[in-house]
Amino acid sequence: MAVKTGDWVHGAWQLGRFAWRSTRHRRTLAPTLVRDSVSVVQHIREGRFQRSLALIAAFAGLLGGVEVTSEHYRGSYGQRVMYTPVILGPLLGIAGVLGAINRRAARTLLPLASCLMLGDGVLGFFFHIRGVARKPGGWRIPVFNIVMGPPLFAPLLLGIGGFLGIIASLLRREDDPIHELAWGTRWHRRPAWVEALPRRLTREGFVVGQDIREGRFQRILAGATALSALLNGAEALYSHYKNRFSYRIQWSPILLSPAIIAAGLGAIWSKQVARTWLPIVSALALLDGAVGFGYHLRGGLRHHPGGIKQPLHMVMYGPPLFAPLLYAATGFIGLLASLLRRAD
Amino acid sequence: MNKRKHRHADLDAELSSPDLDCQPIDPQTGQPLPLRAQVGYYPGYQTLRQQRFWDAATRDVVMRRMHEVPPIRFFTLAEARQLAAVAARIIPQDDRELAYRIPIVPWIDERLHSGRIDGYRYEGMPADGEAHRLGLQAINDIARALHDKDFIDLTPPPQEGILRTLHDDNPPAGHAIWARMPVQRYWMLLVQDCIEVYYAHPFAWDEIGYGGPAYPRGYMRLQHGQPEPWEKDEVRYSWRAPKWSVSQEYTPLGGGHDTITPGQEGTH
Amino acid sequence: MVKDTSLFGIFRKENDQPHQLGPMQRLDVPMRHYTDADVVDVVVVGVGSAGGVLVQRLAKAGWRVVGLEAGPFWDTERDWVSDEAGSHNLYWNDLRITGGKDPLALGANNSGKGVGGGSVHWAGFTPRFHPSDFRVYREDGIGADWPISYEDVKPYYELLEREIPVAGPAYYPWGDPHGYIYGPHPLGQVGAVLVNGCTTLGIRSVAGGPVAILSGSHGDRPHCIYRGFCIQGCKVGAKQSTLISHVPDAVAHGAEIRANAMAARINLGNDGRVTGVTYFDHAGQERCQRAKLVIISGYAIETPRLLLNSATTGYPQGLANSSGTVGRYLMAQAGNVILGRFDEPVRMYKAPPAHALTEEFYETDRRRDFARGFSIQTVGPLPIAFAKQMMVAKGAWGWGLREVMMDYNHWSALGLLGEILPWADNRVTLATETDQFGLPVAHAHFDLHDNDHKLIEFGKNTVMEVMRAAGAQEIVQEPRYAHLIGGARMGNDPATSVVDGWGRTHDIPNLFICDGSIFPTQGAANPGLTIQALAARTADYLITLGAEAAAFRPGHTVMPPLRTELSPAQTTGRGVPRLTSRTPNVHIGLGGLAPGGKA
Ligand SMILES: Cc1cc2nc3c(=O)[nH]c(=O)nc-3n(C[C@H](O)[C@H](O)[C@H](O)COP(=O)(O)OP(=O)(O)OC[C@H]3O[C@@H](n4cnc5c(N)ncnc54)[C@H](O)[C@@H]3O)c2cc1C
Ligand code: SF4
Repeated sequence: MAVKTGDWVHGAWQLGRFAWRSTRHRRTLAPTLVRDSVSVVQHIREGRFQRSLALIAAFAGLLGGVEVTSEHYRGSYGQRVMYTPVILGPLLGIAGVLGAINRRAARTLLPLASCLMLGDGVLGFFFHIRGVARKPGGWRIPVFNIVMGPPLFAPLLLGIGGFLGIIASLLRREDDPIHELAWGTRWHRRPAWVEALPRRLTREGFVVGQDIREGRFQRILAGATALSALLNGAEALYSHYKNRFSYRIQWSPILLSPAIIAAGLGAIWSKQVARTWLPIVSALALLDGAVGFGYHLRGGLRHHPGGIKQPLHMVMYGPPLFAPLLYAATGFIGLLASLLRRAD
Repeated sequence: MNKRKHRHADLDAELSSPDLDCQPIDPQTGQPLPLRAQVGYYPGYQTLRQQRFWDAATRDVVMRRMHEVPPIRFFTLAEARQLAAVAARIIPQDDRELAYRIPIVPWIDERLHSGRIDGYRYEGMPADGEAHRLGLQAINDIARALHDKDFIDLTPPPQEGILRTLHDDNPPAGHAIWARMPVQRYWMLLVQDCIEVYYAHPFAWDEIGYGGPAYPRGYMRLQHGQPEPWEKDEVRYSWRAPKWSVSQEYTPLGGGHDTITPGQEGTH
Repeated sequence: MVKDTSLFGIFRKENDQPHQLGPMQRLDVPMRHYTDADVVDVVVVGVGSAGGVLVQRLAKAGWRVVGLEAGPFWDTERDWVSDEAGSHNLYWNDLRITGGKDPLALGANNSGKGVGGGSVHWAGFTPRFHPSDFRVYREDGIGADWPISYEDVKPYYELLEREIPVAGPAYYPWGDPHGYIYGPHPLGQVGAVLVNGCTTLGIRSVAGGPVAILSGSHGDRPHCIYRGFCIQGCKVGAKQSTLISHVPDAVAHGAEIRANAMAARINLGNDGRVTGVTYFDHAGQERCQRAKLVIISGYAIETPRLLLNSATTGYPQGLANSSGTVGRYLMAQAGNVILGRFDEPVRMYKAPPAHALTEEFYETDRRRDFARGFSIQTVGPLPIAFAKQMMVAKGAWGWGLREVMMDYNHWSALGLLGEILPWADNRVTLATETDQFGLPVAHAHFDLHDNDHKLIEFGKNTVMEVMRAAGAQEIVQEPRYAHLIGGARMGNDPATSVVDGWGRTHDIPNLFICDGSIFPTQGAANPGLTIQALAARTADYLITLGAEAAAFRPGHTVMPPLRTELSPAQTTGRGVPRLTSRTPNVHIGLGGLAPGGKA
C-alpha cells in the first residue's frame, strides 16, 4: 500500500503540466470566471441557491458538531442533554449534503434536521444559562461564572447552522426556472397538517416563504448577520478576556462586531447600508476569521504544554480551532445578505 | 493601603528597635530602604478587598485573624517577650510600618493554651508547650554563655547569631536541655509555628502575591502565572538583608543526614 | 432535615439551616436512629474513604447499618473554609507518637477525621494499581503478594471510577491501559511544567487527571473552579469525598451515621465472635452498640490501634492478632517534593494540586539497583506549606525565608511518589501516653531500608531532571512521606496476615477490616481509589452471603456478582461515551482458594 516517492514525483509533474496548459487559455479563463460569478450573483438574487446553501448549512453543522463534541468532552457529558448537539450536528451535515444532491431531501430531511438543530440551540442556550446559575455564586459573580461556566452563546451559534438549513430548504434550486409559481401549486403541495392550521396564521408564513423562494429576504438575513455578530463577539470577548488579551490582535473580533451589528441592523432599514456597509464589514469579518484561524492554529501548535510533540494536547489545551471560522461565517452570511433582494 | 484599624500586639511594638540599622538595604546605594505599609513586589494588591467574593465562613475566620488577636495565656510575660524577640529574627518584619506588622506570639500562645497539636509528637520530644518553654530557656543559656546577657537584652545581630547555632544544630550551651530535646526538632517546631502564623495573615498574602480565599469565586487564568483580573503584576525591587545579618545565606539545616526531616504538610 | 433533634446531635440545626454538602446538595432526609438496645446488622467503625462506601452499599442492600465516626459530620458550607490555616481541623490531630530512624510525620500529612475521613482532604489523584502490584513477591522476590489479583479488583475500579466520577485522559497508557469516564481538566502551570519537562526528556505523561475531581457538573455537584484548595476540603463539592458522593445515599437508605463517636474497643463474646463496639459518644459518655458484624475502617494507624486496644482473654496481644501481624508492615510512600524556581511566574496555588502525572518509572527496571518504582505527580503547596518546605529544602529562615517567600509565585513543585516496601519492623504499637478518653495512643515506628533509600535517591534525581528540563533555574527538594498503608495486611496464610482477601479476619468470622490498612504492598499509585474499590467489593461479598456472612466462614468459594444496581443514583447514563472493557467479573473467586483462607 505504501506510496512510493516516485508516484509523488510523477503526480507533481502531471499537475505542473496541467497548470501550464491552462495558462495558455488564460485569455478565455478570465471572462469565464466573470460570467460564472455574475450568474452566481444572479442565482442568489433570485433565491436559486438551495444547493449551495444546503452545503453551507451542512458545513456549519459538521463544524459545529466537531466543536461541540470537543467542548462537551471538556465538560465531560455530565448531563445527558449534552449528547444531543453531538448527534444533531452531524445529522444536519448529512441532511445538508443529501439536500444538495436530492431535491426531495432538501424539502423533507433538511428542514427537519435544521429545525431540530435550531431548537436544540435554543434549548442549549437555556441550559447554559442554568449552568452559570448553578456554579458556586451563580449570577452573583457573573464575570467569573460566565468566563468559566458553559459558554453562554455557543448553543445559539450552533443554532444558526439550523437557521441556514431552514432558509435553504425554502429556496429554489440553482437549475429551477427563473419564475416560479407560488407554494402549493406544484409537486410540493402543502402538507396536510399545514392545511389544517388556521389560514390567518399560515398566510403570513407563506408570504415570507415565497419571498425567500424568490431571494427577497435581505432583511431577514441582515438581521441574522447582526445576531451572529453579537453572539460571536460576546464569545470572543469572554474567551479572550480569560486569556488576558495577551495579543493585541485578540481585540479585533471584539472591535469589529459592533460595526457588523450596526451594519446588519442598518441594512434592515436602509437598502443603501445593505449595499455598501454590510458587504464591507462582512468582508472584514471573513478576513478576521481567517486570520484568527491562523493564530489559533499557531497557538495550538506552539503554546500548549509539551509543544509540537504533544499533538493531542493541542485539542484539549490549545485555543478553540474552529471558533474563528464561526466568526468568518458571520461575514459570509452578511455578504450573502448584501446580494439578496428586499421584500419590497 | 487601606488604613484599617489593626489591633496590634503590644509585644511586637515594644520590641521593634527604632534603629534604621535593622532594615533591609538597597544593594545599589547601600542605604536602608524606607519602611513600607505594604512590602513585597505587588504594590497595591490587597486580598482583603476581595472579601465580598468570599463565603461567609471564610470571611469570618480571616477577619477574626485580623482583628481578634488573643491575649497571652500560656506563656509568662517574660517568656512571651523573649519568644517575640526570637520570632522577630525568625521572621523579621523590620521593613514593615509598625501598624502593619503581623503579631506572631499571641497566636502561638493561643495554640498552646488550647492544647491544639499537629496530630503527633516525635519520640524523645516533650509536649509542644514544654518544648517551647525549654527552648526559650536554652536560648537564654546560649545568650548568657556567649554575651553574658539575657537574649531579650541583646541587639538583633547577636540574637541572629544565637539562632543560627540552632539552625546549624550546633548550640554552644544549654546542653542539659538539648539532652532532653533534639535541637533540630525544636528548631523545626519553632520555625514552623512562626510560619503558620505569619503566612496565614492577609498582609503576608499581599506581600507574596498569593490569591487568598477563592470560594465561591475561583480562578480563571491558570497558565503562565497570569494574574486574575483582580490580582496584580509583579513589580520587583532589589533588596538585601542588613549587612550584619546571617539569615539570608541559605545554609542547609544542621544535623547531618542520619535523621531525615520529613515534610509536615500534606501535598499529594 | 430531621425535625427532632437527633439523639447524637449530628445535624446541628442552628437557624433551621439545612445540612449543606457543597453549594447545591442538601441532606434533607430524616436520618434513622438505632438505640443501644438494638442489635444492628453491621457497625462500621470509621466513615472515611472505605467506610463511606461500605455504609452506602450495605444500607442500600437493606442492611441495618450504623457508622461510628470519631469526627464530626461536616456541613461543608458552615464548617469548611477556603483558607489554609483555617482548615486544620480536617485532620486527625489527636496525639500519636512517631519514632524510628526515619520517623513519619503524621497529622496533616496523612489522616483525616470526620465523615469522609481522608477523602475530605485528599488531593484526589485516582490512578489504579498496576497488575504487577498484586504480585510483588512473585516478581521481585521482595515485599509481599496479595491474595487477590488485579482482575479481581478491575470491575470495581471501573465501577468506582463511574461513581466518583474520575476525570482523566481518554487513554491512560500504564498498567492495564484504560480511559476515563469524565474528560481531562485544563492544566495549571505546574501541570505544564510536568508535561513540558517530561516531553523534553521523551517521558510519556498524562494531563488533566486521573483525579476524583469533576470536569463537568454531576447532578448536584458543580464542576471544579480551579481554586487549588483541594487539600483544605473542597467546598465546591467538585472533588469527591465519600461525604458527598456516598454518605447522602447511605442516609437516604436508612443508615445511621453516628458522628463524634470514638470507638474504644471491639467486644468479644464467649463464642469467639464479636458482639459489638464500645465507644465514647459526643458527650464523652461510654456506650455500646451491639451488632451481628463489625467492620473496622479506621485506616493504617487507628485500625491497628483499635485492635490492640481491644486485647482480651484469648487475644492477649490484640484482637484478631494471633499471628502477631497486627500493626506490622506499616508503609508510607516516599513523597519528596521537588521545587524549582522559574524566571516566568507560575502561581502554583491555582488549579487543583493534582492534575498531571507520569507512571513511566512505576515498574521494576532490571537496569536499576532496586526493586519497584515511582510516579511523578503535580503538587501545589499553598504559602504555609511552601514556607515549611523552603525551611527544610533551602534551610531558609529569617531574611532568607522572607526573600524566598516573596518569590512564591515563581516556584513550581512536583511530587515523587515512590513505593516503600513492607517491613515487619515498621509497625504500630501502643504508646504509654493516652488520649482524652484515656485510651493508649498509637506509636508508629518507621525505618527506611536499603531498597527504599536507593529508590528515593533515584526517584528524587529523576524528578529534578524533569524540573530542569522544564526550564527551572534553581532546584531544591524536601524529603517527605505520603499515604499511610498497612498495619493489618491481607493474605492467604493466617500465620503471616490478619485478614483474608475479602477483609475477614482470620481469627474471628464476624470481624472484618476494610480500609488502607489491609494492603500488603502499596504500589506507586495513590491508594484512595483502590481503598474505595475494595470496599465496594467487600460489600458485594457480604451482601451475597447475606445473613450467613455474620454467622460463619463459608467453606465454599463465593463469587459475588458485581452489583451495579447498588451504585448511588446518577452513576449511569452520563460521561464520555467510550468502549468499556470486555472483562466481566468472571475472575472473582480466588484462584482455587476458599476465601476462608484456612483451606
Ligand atoms: C494531604 C493528603 C493528600 C492525599 N492525597 C491523596 C490522593 O491524591 N490520592 C489518594 O488516593 N489518596 C490521597 N491521600 C490518602 C487518602 O486520603 C487515604 O489513603 C484514604 O483516605 C484512606 O482511606 P481509609 O478509608 O483507609 O481511611 P480514612 O479515609 O482515613 O477513614 C478513616 C476514618 O475512620 C475514623 N476513625 C478512626 N479511628 C476511629 C475510631 N476509633 N472510632 C471512630 N472512628 C474512627 C477517622 O476519623 C476517619 O474518618 C491523601 C492524604 C493526605 C493526607
Ligand atoms: S481546585 Fe477544584 S476540586 Fe480542588 S478544591 Fe478547588 S474546586 Fe474543589
